[in-house]
Amino acid sequence: MLNYFPNTSMTHGMGNQFRPFAIQMVTKMGFQFSSMLIALLTIMLGSGAISSELESGLIQGVLARPIHRYQYIFGKLGGLVILVCTYATLLFSSILVIGALFGLSTITSLTFSQIMTGWLLYLLLPVAVLCLTLFGSVSLKAVSNGILMIFIYILGSVGGMVEMIGQYVNNNSIIGTGIFISLVSPFQTIYSTMERVMVPNSELAASAMSAASLSGSGKPASLWMFVYIAIYMLGFVALAIRKFSSKDIT
Amino acid sequence: MIIETHALTKNYGNKTACEQINLSVEAGQVYGFLGRNGAGKSTCIKMLTGLVFPTSGSGTVLGKPLGDVSAREKMGYLPELFRYQDWMTGLDLLNFHAQLIKLKSKKDQISRVLKLVGLVGQENYKVGSYSKGMQQRIGLACALLSNPQLVFLDEPTSALDPIGRKDVRDIIVALKNEGATVFLNSHLLSEVEAVCDSVTFIHKGSVIKSARMDELLMTKISLTIRAKGITEDLFSTLSKEHESLQKLADGSLTVSLKDYEEIPSLAASLISRGATLYELTPHRETLETVFMQIVGEEGPSS
Repeated sequence: MLNYFPNTSMTHGMGNQFRPFAIQMVTKMGFQFSSMLIALLTIMLGSGAISSELESGLIQGVLARPIHRYQYIFGKLGGLVILVCTYATLLFSSILVIGALFGLSTITSLTFSQIMTGWLLYLLLPVAVLCLTLFGSVSLKAVSNGILMIFIYILGSVGGMVEMIGQYVNNNSIIGTGIFISLVSPFQTIYSTMERVMVPNSELAASAMSAASLSGSGKPASLWMFVYIAIYMLGFVALAIRKFSSKDIT
Repeated sequence: MIIETHALTKNYGNKTACEQINLSVEAGQVYGFLGRNGAGKSTCIKMLTGLVFPTSGSGTVLGKPLGDVSAREKMGYLPELFRYQDWMTGLDLLNFHAQLIKLKSKKDQISRVLKLVGLVGQENYKVGSYSKGMQQRIGLACALLSNPQLVFLDEPTSALDPIGRKDVRDIIVALKNEGATVFLNSHLLSEVEAVCDSVTFIHKGSVIKSARMDELLMTKISLTIRAKGITEDLFSTLSKEHESLQKLADGSLTVSLKDYEEIPSLAASLISRGATLYELTPHRETLETVFMQIVGEEGPSS
């Protein structure tokens, strides 16, 4: 992108602005595709975490042991959190290393604080997806859960886009719909906050990305949104425990 | 009582899997739990092990209420549909279960159970590569790992060859001799007859009979009679006295008696009526015939 389009008609007139724009685009694409990959991987791992063991009967031998049901859920959650966070950290560091090797200014100019905040937000996304997926795994069969979780994940991206359209046309009901979708599926909010931390001052690139992928977000998420996300995650884990604690293992 | 239940009932929607189950199992015995497929045996075992929650009723296992986690420390369970982590080796699986039960002297106990179930030398192979019989053996090893006071064995020999079945019978007897209680669910009635002290018959989710094995099998005696001179008149006269009298294809007669004391009077009756007696062979009733009588009379399973 940086090498092939600097002087085409598409970029004609942008002059020296093109290169920073392209660098921002490349960086954002790296984060977006990798976070999508890690979210889908999390759904794949989590959707059958409990349901497949329930279906196969594998769980019977384990739950007949002196362990509480909540311990089983926490065990599964803990193991999967470690796994997805390891994958996510590998992907996140790969992006940083590759970006630094190619001398992308978006990466080389990052401060330690930005990297740490961005990394934590990058990890938060799969962990949030996992909390919801685990609840689904207690309630649904593995395939149904996987399909539903992918739908909810994609819905989050649409929510951000709807909110952005609402802001563009200045329509409060559209903005409200977008916010409601983001409450149901807050994953895009986490991602866009991470993106704002890692690639700041990149509104033009963000608009281009939104147009290309039909995803995006409106205003930056407030602290209350993150309080909501924490409640969302804890709530789904609590629901999973509650549901699983009264479930008959047949 | 090591197991005691009061009106234990489990409904799945409008279907009743177990209804008003009352059990009293004394410690130190081998307790047979018999019934046809779908009778509710496995559901009942799962309620006792805390895997399934009763719709109503109550009970205690090892002195603790049903579902109590601490009771499971001294409990072993081999599920009917045994399935274990097939990516683990047999040794990994036993180590995993040893960790779940926080077992002390893990190494010694694992060696003990591997020897007991005959899997020494196979423990480093993956469970997925085990034959069905070996998987059942490793399941049994997991169930016995904690030196349990109470063991639930749900169809423990369903995948085993005759030698394997005998091994399991020996293990059950050894457990009993060590003071453990074995709750055995099996369709192999000869096996149950060989090892059980008491049995309970369950049909369509309800207990239809509970008895000690010796009482159950001694209630009736089957007698084979070989004699000459049994005329039609004599047969009809005897049939009036013994409704179960039947003539077999080889000319011999069979009759069911309630008591051994009836045998001399029957022999005297035959001789006094002119028959020449060659053989009178009493047979103790088998569990299979008792099962057929008790469960068969109740009609087809649900």
